[in-house]
Amino acid sequence: MAEIPFTAALNRAMAEEMKQDERVVVLGEDVRAGFFGATSGLVDIFGPERVLNTPIWESGIAGMALGLAVTGLRPVAELMFADFFYLAADEIANQMASWHYVTGGQTPVPIVVRTAAGGGFAIGYNHSQCTEASFLNPPGLKIVAPSTAHDAYGLLKSAIRDDNPVLFIEHKLLYGVPGEVPDEEYLIPLGEAAVRREGKDVTVLAWSTMVGKALQASEELEKQGVSVEVIDARTLVPLDEATLLASVAKTGRLVTVEEGRKRGGVGAEIAATVMEKAFGSLKAPVVRVAAPNIPVPSGPAAEAMHVPSVPSIIGGVRTALA
Amino acid sequence: MEAGNVARDPVPIEPKMLLELYRRMVLVRMAETIHKEMLDRQEFYLMGHFGTGQEAVGIGMTAALLPTDYLFATHRGIAEFVGKGMSQEDIWAEYYCRSVGPAKGKGGLHLSDYKVGLVGLVGSLGADYSIAVGAALSSKIQKDGRVTLYSFGEGTSSQSDFGSTLNAAALWKLPLVFGMANNQWCEFAHYSDHVATGDVAPRAEGYGIPWSIADGQDVAAAYAATQEAVDRARRGEGPSFVEFKTYRAGPHFSGEPGAYMAEEDLCRWRERDPLLVAEQRLLAEGVATRDEMDKIAEAARAEVTSAVERARSLPDVTYEEMISGVYAGEVK
Repeated sequence: MAEIPFTAALNRAMAEEMKQDERVVVLGEDVRAGFFGATSGLVDIFGPERVLNTPIWESGIAGMALGLAVTGLRPVAELMFADFFYLAADEIANQMASWHYVTGGQTPVPIVVRTAAGGGFAIGYNHSQCTEASFLNPPGLKIVAPSTAHDAYGLLKSAIRDDNPVLFIEHKLLYGVPGEVPDEEYLIPLGEAAVRREGKDVTVLAWSTMVGKALQASEELEKQGVSVEVIDARTLVPLDEATLLASVAKTGRLVTVEEGRKRGGVGAEIAATVMEKAFGSLKAPVVRVAAPNIPVPSGPAAEAMHVPSVPSIIGGVRTALA
Repeated sequence: MEAGNVARDPVPIEPKMLLELYRRMVLVRMAETIHKEMLDRQEFYLMGHFGTGQEAVGIGMTAALLPTDYLFATHRGIAEFVGKGMSQEDIWAEYYCRSVGPAKGKGGLHLSDYKVGLVGLVGSLGADYSIAVGAALSSKIQKDGRVTLYSFGEGTSSQSDFGSTLNAAALWKLPLVFGMANNQWCEFAHYSDHVATGDVAPRAEGYGIPWSIADGQDVAAAYAATQEAVDRARRGEGPSFVEFKTYRAGPHFSGEPGAYMAEEDLCRWRERDPLLVAEQRLLAEGVATRDEMDKIAEAARAEVTSAVERARSLPDVTYEEMISGVYAGEVK
């Protein structure tokens, strides 16, 4: 089994899907070169008609993907930064999300919109956000946010084969991180969380880069005698409620951890769901560890204070235990 | 170009074709008239964004398409939908939100009918610019020979995707035809309040896209201008832009009186009502008699009435139907 970077796992997933299904096409700004490397080299194998460089037109990339999808193709579109989802918000939230419903299912809507999310380069408010929370609300989308190269490969292949629009959130700090990806083909179903670490005192739910931080925090807490269960959501829509609720039933405490802003965040939705469905299991209020409600600040010092850290996750767990 | 009462050489058209296009225009006018009458009697929920006065544009444009071609059209009237082949039964089943409609009654006024190439009618004006580019790009990639017609109005030419769309269509030489009905009204305002130039089509030149301006009151002219553009697209020579000079001879929608429209303008435009223009030619060229035209109107009334009655008699969607169908396939 080889260790390959996250981007190579994505690249392999796309190449395999393009090879076995000629309807799969890739489009976006600079996808031939590959801005972050995930699509690099695909044009050499599949040609320029299936690996399409687009003009700088984010709403168009999303809208074109919809037009391609409802006329027989299976586009994998790339929006360079998750912040740019808002440029394409009408196409994503109003159109592709609703299309299957308002056409009465006359057509599948097989679209993957890949994007790079999150901080790490300290480049401020329009290139560093985690915007997935904004897209929990429109019906008809699926949202995937892998934390490892292994999952990125298996989840992207499932997303490409899905007949619904899938927002595929890739954290830019994960792109270079290597991970074990088996040589044999495998799929990871959308809607299945992974329990990364078993514990009995507190459940921590995270996704993307926050899974790694939650695991580090849980190791620290273990030394302090606290047993933390870490769940990697992997898919936010549909959310694997069964795994989450089973864990909360066991631990009685939940901490959600996200890099996005707290107000209206993913954690708010998850906390509400747990209150509705497992209130009797809760021994303490749900704690949300998230970014403050400010634009992502510029510069390394401010960004480091803005993004949830291992100490802030430990603090969140301590609050849940208090 | 002012499409007023000026003498023109008639645009060549097969007499049988002219008669068929006239029949389609009568059907559109009849459907919208009956729709309006139902609203006046407070018998129907769905507000109308009627296209009275501009039927020749939608019917003429769509006559140039094949059944397999894709069409994106708007809320302004149903001419494009009728012309592309959507039946009255299907239109009214959707309008009444009945589960027998092509979109299972989920579309309502957002008509779609994939069996005749109607991909969808978006509710946010211009959201479909890029979707149409995607459809045309899809045809280019799949080499399926289809042409996409993007039908819109001069009001939507102000949306930001307009320029990006013309750029992408020209960049990739897409089989995409822009058919713009300049009906002179952008919601409640004359288009001179919204649009910087009297003509919109010449903007296409800056993108290297051939353009023309056609008489939108003459169905033969609208058909011929679109056919030229469609032929160019099908030959692989890329997009074209046709602006049709027409007139929205009524309010923006059924819930307002159109008080901002001058009666003298309306009277002037009624003299070039597209149905009247076609009737005069059909009579002058001996293609149809007044009696035959009356029969066409009677048949249209029967067709629409029957479709309305059928849709009205069907049950409302159930809760189960309403709540389902967000996703394709099973979702946990």
